[in-house]
Amino acid sequence: MSTLSQVSIDKITADLLPKKFGKPGIIWTTVLVMLSIGGLIGYYRQLQNGLGVTGMRDYASWGIYISNFVFFVAISLVGSLITAIFRLTNVSWRTPLTRISEIIAVSAIMFAGLIIIVDMGRPERFTNLFLLGRLQSPIIWDVIVITTYLTLSILFLYFPLLPDLQIMIKHSKAGSINQKIYKFFGSFWKGTAEQFRLSENAIKIISIMIIPVALAIHTVTSWLFATTYRPGWDSTNFGAYFVSGAFLVGAGGVAVAMYVFRKAYNLQEYITEKHFNYMGKIVVMLAFLYLYFNINEYLVPAFKMKKAEEHHLMGLFTGEFSYLFWSAILVGMIIPIAVLLFPSGRKPLPMFVMGIFVVVGAWFKRFLIVTPTLLSPFLPISNSPESYAHYNPTWEEWSITVGTLAGALLIITMFVRLFPIIPIHETIEEHAKAHKL
Amino acid sequence: MTSLKILSVAFFWCISLLHTPVFAQEAEKATLRLDLTYQRQENGQLPMLKTSTKTKAGKRFEPVHDVEINLFFNEETSKGFLGRIKSSDKGTAFLTIPDDFTYELDTSAVLKFIATVTNNEKFEDVSSEIEITKAQIELTLNEEDSIRTMKAKVLVFEEGGWKPAPETEIKFVVKRLLSDLNAGEEELYTTDEFGEASSEFTLHIPGDAEGNIFIAAKIDDNDVYGSISSSKEVKWGTPLQKDNSFAKRTLFATRDKTPLWLLIFPNLIIITVWSFIFYLIYQIILLRRIGKAHKNV
Repeated sequence: MSTLSQVSIDKITADLLPKKFGKPGIIWTTVLVMLSIGGLIGYYRQLQNGLGVTGMRDYASWGIYISNFVFFVAISLVGSLITAIFRLTNVSWRTPLTRISEIIAVSAIMFAGLIIIVDMGRPERFTNLFLLGRLQSPIIWDVIVITTYLTLSILFLYFPLLPDLQIMIKHSKAGSINQKIYKFFGSFWKGTAEQFRLSENAIKIISIMIIPVALAIHTVTSWLFATTYRPGWDSTNFGAYFVSGAFLVGAGGVAVAMYVFRKAYNLQEYITEKHFNYMGKIVVMLAFLYLYFNINEYLVPAFKMKKAEEHHLMGLFTGEFSYLFWSAILVGMIIPIAVLLFPSGRKPLPMFVMGIFVVVGAWFKRFLIVTPTLLSPFLPISNSPESYAHYNPTWEEWSITVGTLAGALLIITMFVRLFPIIPIHETIEEHAKAHKL
Repeated sequence: MTSLKILSVAFFWCISLLHTPVFAQEAEKATLRLDLTYQRQENGQLPMLKTSTKTKAGKRFEPVHDVEINLFFNEETSKGFLGRIKSSDKGTAFLTIPDDFTYELDTSAVLKFIATVTNNEKFEDVSSEIEITKAQIELTLNEEDSIRTMKAKVLVFEEGGWKPAPETEIKFVVKRLLSDLNAGEEELYTTDEFGEASSEFTLHIPGDAEGNIFIAAKIDDNDVYGSISSSKEVKWGTPLQKDNSFAKRTLFATRDKTPLWLLIFPNLIIITVWSFIFYLIYQIILLRRIGKAHKNV
């Protein structure tokens, strides 16, 4: 650090310190708060009247709540991709992206857990999942692995934050609430060699541990479906299919966040076009991978077209869900591949747009995995009204779902308001190293 | 004065009620179909009478419930009164003939039963009667050189003694939980001049824990003999091995019966991963200690 001039250090610190919200920031936060309140109102209605207020019935017992849950679990996987895999493989340009991906992971996994409670008819019995859970049930595996991944992700966010907290304490107003928060979390950090050694060691352990746990979280989520005998879910490929899709949506999410933070906080010097170019290449690779698994998941059953699965497959290809299905494939994979294959497509703005395409496509893709299968059971449910064979989410479901998405974004927003979204200490270290060379 | 007025109004209202369609219906009672059948499960057991009440609704008959039926033996008098039964939701009702009639049943060759429905609010009076010639079945089960044979002899009570009943249709069944399973090669057999019919038993079906099953010879809904049967327990079934898998450690068992492999390996993984997590949390404690020590220095 000493090889870098104090002026440069001060500039980096000043550039990366969290800043007060401007007008757009206040509007953005207000909208998120309003949407979250809307979600709470919807949930209050659901608590009052039960799951009957949702569009879920005998056929579609999993609707947009579970689709949203799978989406959150998927996007959370980015934490392990950018932070752990890039760290272990010494990807030098990862630094400005690590904290972005970790906070996305933490907020997403928190809301994945919350949405499971929302989907419960008796949420007050949530603790029974831990107290009375059967290890034979994949749902319990998911509960265990989500708890583990959340804990590890928080630790992965916390350890690299410690040196920055010391900087924040120095640069915050004495006695302010912000400084109290920084002191609460990191006043003990003195930057001694021993502290750095312990912290580096801990980060290395988490980097190694979080990869199998992250793969497990999404594989286990896929097993919630694949361990049942239903059209569209009865697949041995599901774990890999889910993991590849999760990496794609996570990378897309990071691309969107990169653009927004770069623009909002003027971080062009730190999140450069090079970062967008590299992330673009990763998104293309992951989109190809996910497309490959999609071809496997749909083309092979379509080739056989077993009578019992025909209703489900035709519903997706030409029936009730066909517009959504082809849009998700096109928007979520084909268009991003076509655009990002070219260097001009990997510039910040097209990357941002393609990132949104990937994320939106991914959300609807999760819905297409969850619900159409339930509407095509091998045996029709007897004595149920015709309307039960279709699923139309109610306003309560939409408001809760949108509320949770807004809630996750709100956590990211509040985090960015309090903490540096690009690690200050690591950036200074990197610049010092580059200066030395 | 006022109370007198009220009384007069009430009186005229009651009178007018008598002319309403509700009371007029008395003259338009529906027709009831009443069927009476005779059943006897085993030789020597007291027989049972079964009634069935139906009424026509549109083009089909529907069962009628809560109809009281009087049953008589031989004559419709208080002496022959067997009892009163009420039809169920399915329109059926049963009466086991009381012990008091044992002597008459034993000594009579022909049994006459009468069922009547009288003074019913909704249905016209109706009666039904049957005449049953007393009969019984003697069932013999034999196993020789691994060939199992069921033999039934139908006897009819005539002139004070039991005589063979030729040309009678009979079937062999295995009694199962919900209904009877045909045990013979044919569905129906006709007795020969000695009143006998036989069939080989070739079924391989589960019995109780020791392989016991109940085989019966039956005459069903016969116009002359009614429904009679005779059964015997025999070890011709496959001993039933009880499925105790719910008490074992299986994937579908309760949480206290988790399979051991599923208990051991995931818990090993959980313990290993969480040991590291606790180690990492301990590292934070260590960092705090170092920080405090540094402050003191």
